[in-house]
Amino acid sequence: MSDTSVMTTASGCHIFSGCGYPAPSISNFYFKPIFTVGGIAITKPVVLAVLSGAIILAFFYVAFRKPKLVPRGTQNLGELGVLFVRDQILRQQLGRKGDKYLPFIVAIFFFVWIMNVFSLIPLIQFPATSKIAFPAGLAFVVWVTYITIGMKSKGPIGYFKQMAVPEGAPWWILPLLSPVELLSNIFVRPFTLAIRLFANMLSGHLLLLVFGLASWYLFSLSIGLLFSVTSFLLTIILTGLEVLITALQAFIFATLTAFYIADATETSH
Amino acid sequence: MSGPGAPKGGRDPSQPRPASEGWAILSYMIGGMALYGFVGWLAARWTGWPVLFPIGMLAGLASAIALVIFRVTRS
Repeated sequence: MSDTSVMTTASGCHIFSGCGYPAPSISNFYFKPIFTVGGIAITKPVVLAVLSGAIILAFFYVAFRKPKLVPRGTQNLGELGVLFVRDQILRQQLGRKGDKYLPFIVAIFFFVWIMNVFSLIPLIQFPATSKIAFPAGLAFVVWVTYITIGMKSKGPIGYFKQMAVPEGAPWWILPLLSPVELLSNIFVRPFTLAIRLFANMLSGHLLLLVFGLASWYLFSLSIGLLFSVTSFLLTIILTGLEVLITALQAFIFATLTAFYIADATETSH
Repeated sequence: MSGPGAPKGGRDPSQPRPASEGWAILSYMIGGMALYGFVGWLAARWTGWPVLFPIGMLAGLASAIALVIFRVTRS
């Protein structure tokens, strides 16, 4: 960890020892470069993002290297994951015709999920997605994808018309509503997609830091012990919540990706 | 999802709308408020009446709600 609050706590900073609570802050999300490649500083979040990509590649390679009709072991697990994404995310939005987008959605879901799960792995304990660059990059990829798909399926003008003209609205209100529809479809969608994931992971990590640090800081042979135990219990409960959130945010990200693609391909939503 | 009676490739109208439509509403709300809030802010700076800024935001919210109503109640 690069941050100062963890350092001061680890050095024996406790309540009643004359030192204030080393509150976690945004500085806990900035890391010193581990090494530099061609002028680009590589930090922990970058390593984690590459690692999660490598984990997914390795896992699915092992799972589907020699696929058998009756799956065993890793293939079983891999099929479970792919089928979950297909049935719970993709087909809910796109129906059967959307199966050609399955690799994309599977990649998005697992990449986001593994990057989120890093917030819970001991010694790693940092979600790469709590750095805005990663959700923003992913949202940009999604944005380019659904715009391209929309233009391919309806032509640039037809797609633009669909994005600008809300269906079912009477004509006289269109001058008022079209700008909102257009702005919401082109700019707000990728923006909210990125912010939702980023803010959820940032706040979750911050919460865990607050209570994790507090349970160590409040630890002393006094009334502080009671606070410390309470804080520790909250850390455990919030970790359980984070387990849920990591999966939920990946699910929402993938679901919305599928929804945007569906919106771009469907003739009438 | 898409059973035999469903429109080709589309969503089955007898099924409830997926939760993602709810998420899509969020982008209308933000888009409407941002756009007409900005217009209202510009108008407020131009005319010197600061009240135009909140009026613009409310108008944006109203248009976003109208969009959502049209989107949900059509067909």
